[in-house]
Amino acid sequence: MKRAMVLGIFLVLGLVLAQGRTVTLLWSGAITGPTSDVGGPYAAGIEDYCRYANEQRLIPGVTLNCIVRDDQYQNPNTQRILEEALDRSRPAIYLGYSTGAMLQLKPLINEVRLPTIPASAHIGLIDPPNHQYFFLPVSSYSEQVVALMEYINRTERNARIALVVNPSPFGRAVVDHARRAAQRLGQTIVDVREVGGGNLDNTALLRALDAAGVQYIIHQNVAGPVANILKDAKRLGLDRKIKQMGAVYTGGSDLLRLAGDAAEGYLWASSYYTLDENTPGINLQKQLAARYNRSADILNSTNYTAGMLAAAIAVEAMRRAAQRFNGRIDNETVYQSIIGMNGPNAFRPGFAVSTKAGIEIDFTRSEQTGAEGLRVLEVRGGKFVPITEPFTSALFRQVRNP
Amino acid sequence: MTDFLQNLISGIAVGCIYALAALGFVLIYKSSRVINFANGQLIAIGAFTAYALAVWMGLPVLLAALLALLLTALLGFVVERVFLRRLVGQPIISVIMVTIGLASVLDGLMYLTPFGSGNFTFPPFLPPGGLNLGGLNISYPQLLAIGFTVVFLLMFGWFFQRSVLGIAMRAVADDQMASMSLGVSVEKVFALAWAIAGLTAAAAGIVVGMVSGLNQDSLIAIGLAVFPAVILGGLDSVPGAVVGGIIIGVLQSFSTAYLDPLLTQVGLVGGGSQYAMPFVVLLIMLWFKPHGLFGTEEIERV
Repeated sequence: MKRAMVLGIFLVLGLVLAQGRTVTLLWSGAITGPTSDVGGPYAAGIEDYCRYANEQRLIPGVTLNCIVRDDQYQNPNTQRILEEALDRSRPAIYLGYSTGAMLQLKPLINEVRLPTIPASAHIGLIDPPNHQYFFLPVSSYSEQVVALMEYINRTERNARIALVVNPSPFGRAVVDHARRAAQRLGQTIVDVREVGGGNLDNTALLRALDAAGVQYIIHQNVAGPVANILKDAKRLGLDRKIKQMGAVYTGGSDLLRLAGDAAEGYLWASSYYTLDENTPGINLQKQLAARYNRSADILNSTNYTAGMLAAAIAVEAMRRAAQRFNGRIDNETVYQSIIGMNGPNAFRPGFAVSTKAGIEIDFTRSEQTGAEGLRVLEVRGGKFVPITEPFTSALFRQVRNP
Repeated sequence: MTDFLQNLISGIAVGCIYALAALGFVLIYKSSRVINFANGQLIAIGAFTAYALAVWMGLPVLLAALLALLLTALLGFVVERVFLRRLVGQPIISVIMVTIGLASVLDGLMYLTPFGSGNFTFPPFLPPGGLNLGGLNISYPQLLAIGFTVVFLLMFGWFFQRSVLGIAMRAVADDQMASMSLGVSVEKVFALAWAIAGLTAAAAGIVVGMVSGLNQDSLIAIGLAVFPAVILGGLDSVPGAVVGGIIIGVLQSFSTAYLDPLLTQVGLVGGGSQYAMPFVVLLIMLWFKPHGLFGTEEIERV
């Protein structure tokens, strides 16, 4: 009997060892609730990349435990989910979401030294204090808006610009930097307006901006409100007078679908490749969407790409941590791997455009933005088409720390 | 002057959408003294039903919209039969709590469908652009909203003033026990009120979907955003819902056009006064008329 028990114990231990270790990666974000049109595909991107990583054994001997939770864009939910995960599963890395929740959680994340890759690209997350463990996958909202202002300056001097932003920390993130950039570029920020979802009519807004001599509207929002403004501008004939453009979450397939013809000519700053381009990341995206039966809407969403990029960075950091620290994958070793992801060790998954130096994703202890390159794309014939080469905003670094 | 008129027309059009959404509140309150916190969910279900019929089943949009109106009315009827029927004669707060629970359940169920997160649009069936009248522009979906509102207003005006069922509904709203003792079926009245509320909610959802696309969160938000309109007009007044909706719509349009630029000039950047102004005006209004513009003022003899 004793012999059988000992044999049994050895058998169980053997099975456990054969299966390898489990390491946790946590994401919480808005799968439902406000901005879930962004969060839904983003979550799908993370889930699919995790499944792929486990199937392909991207981290040898390690099974990823990907926890994907819906916080409904509610900060208390986000906090509870993170605290619960810290207590129960001790994640090695955290993929966050909303600006508000991330700003709120900065001190906690710093205290527990948890490497964090948020979906929010609010520059305040990588600004002091408590910023050490935050890493933005792509350039910040502010940098993208400043890049658009630089793009305007190429053809139009002393432009008069209005910012139309989401009524949230996410939307307001860009205002101060845009003002500082405008001063240096000789542009005028004529007005800053907050517009949320469900904006049923934008006639008053557009006419007021037109009366104030606005030539360009820069949006920092999600696609829905922007599409409504584009449709109203077209109806009022203001699409020929006012050029509209936006950062990060304003563009993509959602905008094309919602705005239809009215999207023609809309400019979008984006670090991501489009689905038409032949890159390893985009090809993987197509392959995984097919393998896991994702809908066409998910496949076409740039937020699906964004989720995959965030997960890819996390998985790569874990893989490098295991390789460099004798299989030790925890928040400390993952942090060391992320800040070492530069120079010849930069990461090239093929989801985001590369800078002139050929670098796609790189981080250091002090440079916490991954993809610093971006392109301006324009809607032509119902598609986003790149109209610039990848570039990095020159002015942003000056206005960030004046 | 053109700008003023344009802002006025746009405000009226938006106000009509609010009015449609507000009618659902009013009809249920009018018959049962209950505020339905699941109104936004009915709006979303109506809109997504129309979308599913039009896109998935390939029906013409107008036919899909008509069927969605009927199906959402049926849903309202079923909800009353299943959840609220047993609460006749019970404290109002119990019924209100059921509507809050219902909102949560419907929310959760919708998230299980493909409509949970994402943006959708109806197949185009109206001409692009809008109607231009001497430099004043209004989009076709907005015209549709105005049309829907006028039709519903006339229909309900007649229904509550002239039809036996409408008068029975008013009697039930006034005193459930007295109505029952006179042979009025309170249960039928409640079921009918919920069915009609489902109908108006679906109409609002379909119009919102045509104007700004379909997004669950935005549609549900519209359902509750019309509270100021409902309270301003008077909780139990059908014309009040329409007038309240239009006042709020115009107020928002004017505050965006004229107040936001002033706020910008004094350094209060961000605009967004359209979100606050309805509540500011509502507070002032209720100071003078606590029952709203057209609400029934109840006088109790002591």
